[in-house]
Amino acid sequence: MKTKTLYSLAILFTIHCSLFTPSAVAQGVREFIQHTPSYASCNYHVYPDTITAVLTPAPAGKKPFYISHYGRHGSRYINSRSGYDIPYKMMEQADSLDELTPAGVQIFDFMSNIMRDTEGRWGELSGNGKQQLQNIGRRMVQNFPEVLCPGAKVTAVSTIVPRCIESMGAFTMEMLQVCPQLQITMEASKRNQWYLNYQDRKLRKNYMTPEAQKAYDAYTASRLGNSRLMELIFKNPDIVKEIVDEEYFNYYLMKMGLFQLNINYNRDTHIMNLFSIDDLYRMWQVDNALWYIQHGACKLNGGRQPYSQRYLLKKLITDADSCIQLEKPGAQLRFGHETVLFPLVCLMGINGYDLETDNLEELEEKGWWCSSVFPMGSNLQAIFYRRDKNDDDVLVKFLLNEVEATLPVPTDCAPYYHWKDVRQYCLNKLERYKSK
Amino acid sequence: MNQLKRSMKAIAKHIIFTTILTLCTPASAGAQSVVKELKEDVNRAAGMFYARPIIEHHKITPTPKGKKPFYINNYCCPASYYLDKVEYYKDTYDVFAKADTLGKLTKLGKDVFHRIGLLCREVNNRGGEVTPKGAMQSRGLMKQLMLRVPELFTKDTYYSVHSVVENHCIMTMQEGLLQLSSMQQPIIARSKASNTGIRYMAPSDGELANQATDSLTMARYRRFEALNTNNGRLMRSLFNDMNYVATYIDEALLARQLFILAGNYQHTELAGQVSLWDIFTPEEIHQHWRKQNAWHYIKYGGCTLNGGYQAYNRRAVLRNMMHMGDSMINRKDPLMHLRYTNENVVMSLACLMELDGMGIHTANLDSLEEYGWANYRIAPLGGAISMVHYRSGPNDPDVLVKVLFNGHEAKLPVETDCFPYYHWRDVKRYYLRKLYRYENKRLNNKVNSR
Repeated sequence: MKTKTLYSLAILFTIHCSLFTPSAVAQGVREFIQHTPSYASCNYHVYPDTITAVLTPAPAGKKPFYISHYGRHGSRYINSRSGYDIPYKMMEQADSLDELTPAGVQIFDFMSNIMRDTEGRWGELSGNGKQQLQNIGRRMVQNFPEVLCPGAKVTAVSTIVPRCIESMGAFTMEMLQVCPQLQITMEASKRNQWYLNYQDRKLRKNYMTPEAQKAYDAYTASRLGNSRLMELIFKNPDIVKEIVDEEYFNYYLMKMGLFQLNINYNRDTHIMNLFSIDDLYRMWQVDNALWYIQHGACKLNGGRQPYSQRYLLKKLITDADSCIQLEKPGAQLRFGHETVLFPLVCLMGINGYDLETDNLEELEEKGWWCSSVFPMGSNLQAIFYRRDKNDDDVLVKFLLNEVEATLPVPTDCAPYYHWKDVRQYCLNKLERYKSK
Repeated sequence: MNQLKRSMKAIAKHIIFTTILTLCTPASAGAQSVVKELKEDVNRAAGMFYARPIIEHHKITPTPKGKKPFYINNYCCPASYYLDKVEYYKDTYDVFAKADTLGKLTKLGKDVFHRIGLLCREVNNRGGEVTPKGAMQSRGLMKQLMLRVPELFTKDTYYSVHSVVENHCIMTMQEGLLQLSSMQQPIIARSKASNTGIRYMAPSDGELANQATDSLTMARYRRFEALNTNNGRLMRSLFNDMNYVATYIDEALLARQLFILAGNYQHTELAGQVSLWDIFTPEEIHQHWRKQNAWHYIKYGGCTLNGGYQAYNRRAVLRNMMHMGDSMINRKDPLMHLRYTNENVVMSLACLMELDGMGIHTANLDSLEEYGWANYRIAPLGGAISMVHYRSGPNDPDVLVKVLFNGHEAKLPVETDCFPYYHWRDVKRYYLRKLYRYENKRLNNKVNSR
């Protein structure tokens, strides 16, 4: 077991490194953030668009014939005003009481600019986001020309959220630039929401058990405040305490700064510069722990949260089952959200993200780093290989954000897995939900 | 006050003039022709829910000598979509389901129940979404446009594509873009679905919209509606117990819903296999269409019952069109503005631009057919107004424009010596003056009401 964990850890490190800093040696999250600050913002992390990972050649005698994909939309504007409003209103009130330092006044100005730029565009896909999806689509066609050849069928579906529809459009449009003869259909329909965007409210409701809350509070206690920031912005931090919650203020202001990296015409880094690497790193730790409790196989709440995506996993299996029967199944593309992709990755145990623990301090050392899974534009691609239609031994390989990934399934041909084994493993896993 | 009187007089004069002008224009139209057109393709009766067909044989006038197109401003309706008001499907189905359990349906009634059931099954959880036929329609229309103005589709062309944030508009845009991408590599395109363009994509003027259905207009419309309503025969053909119908069924509502559903099959995967048109007589279809057509005229056209200005609700679109036309004159490479918006924006724009005489002003709802004012001609699903600009080079002082109105070359309310082309300076001057007159009137009203 120990060897296995170490093995996956080693793989994880390789993956993290190949994703972000190809030349760097194995490094920790803090160093990561130093190179790529947006890594600190977890689900607001920007897709690492310079993919340099080398793909293993196809297994001897086999070739790719089917691609099954689930992808998150690209970089977007923040979903609603409320996230920005929290620090903004605190600043507004402090300003009206003449409690802002000259640096504070300047920051307030930057915040106003950001608010103005974003007004009316809440949740919209940004130009940056569209570019990410175009690049992923282009690479998919370039990497797997055997599947995506002239005449090949591509079925794309998206949730009914506009940024997902646009992501689907950007992706497929670029695919046609590489191979104009692809036969693409698109659909954005409520009728697919049950698996594309299933939010299991009943399950989600219970994620923060008293045990989880206790562990989370203990873990975050030393990581949330930022007295240096308070002193920099407010004349009398003690007085503004009535209106400014230090922890909230620190958290949301940092998010506001980090979010700007998703919007290509307004990469305003003034706010981000207020924060030290350690501030960002602590923020990441706090968020990573919360994402683990919310979506990971966290022992503190029974470890059932990843099962929110049981319908999607089942659908991926049945879709693959029927596509394997076809001569030329082409590709199935699905566009949705990180709150779907992430639990799916945890459920499938990709790259060790099925980690089960009750100790939040363990997450970081064991490589459970959420930002590596679900940046804007993140995606999971299953590439299926076979000799011909009569080949009984279909192989599959998974790409998480376009880098080869591992599954907790024995194999004699990594990074390829025998589809039969993967399928059975997934079905067993789904079966276990009933007993949970 | 005097000033107001003067401007009102000028406007009244203008309206009368336009009306006379339209009356004199050979309105191809006439009641006969609507009846004929409905007979040719009964799906036209769906009005704004008619699926614009992709016609290959539109007359194409050659490009004016020495000039070539360099800019197109294109306003598109969404492609075929399922009704967003899902109650039309569901409520109608429920009425039949209830009557069926009580044994109140005739043989035809049972058959209609079955047909509505098929439709409901397809539409389930898809209300308001572009249909697979709509997706193909959007691609087909894009292809048609590319083939009609090939000089504009070059590798140097910049495609600026924008949709309002409405899923069926976004999907129509994305389908169109797929077509474009499959025919043009490399492509320089930028698309977005954003609320940022709302002021020129789908502007609205609340004050004006509130006047559309004032009590006097509604009274006139209700009367028109009553005179064009006769549902007895239909009800007798569907139900076997008229007491049941009288007690439990809102006949007018049900007939209207059935008519709307009849117009809806054309967009679905059932098209060509299942239809509801057969349950209506041609006269009934004509009557239902007339009511809808009159309603659209009141809401989006130049109907004088409510003041004659409803088309101005979207005047910012026309203003932007003029502004953009001017901005592009010195551009080096060709540019396309593809705007995907709601069908009622396109309808108001067509009326405001008086395309093919659609700007008529009248209080007589019975006369619309005579004038050729028919909703399916103006803004069907997939409909579009494209203004194409031509020049000899960046410094050409005489830019010409032509408007493709649902694919055909439209007549503008401006004099020209080179139809279907018009001199941009005349077009711009005409429309801007029209807009300024209206804005000035609004300003005067405001000043006087102080």
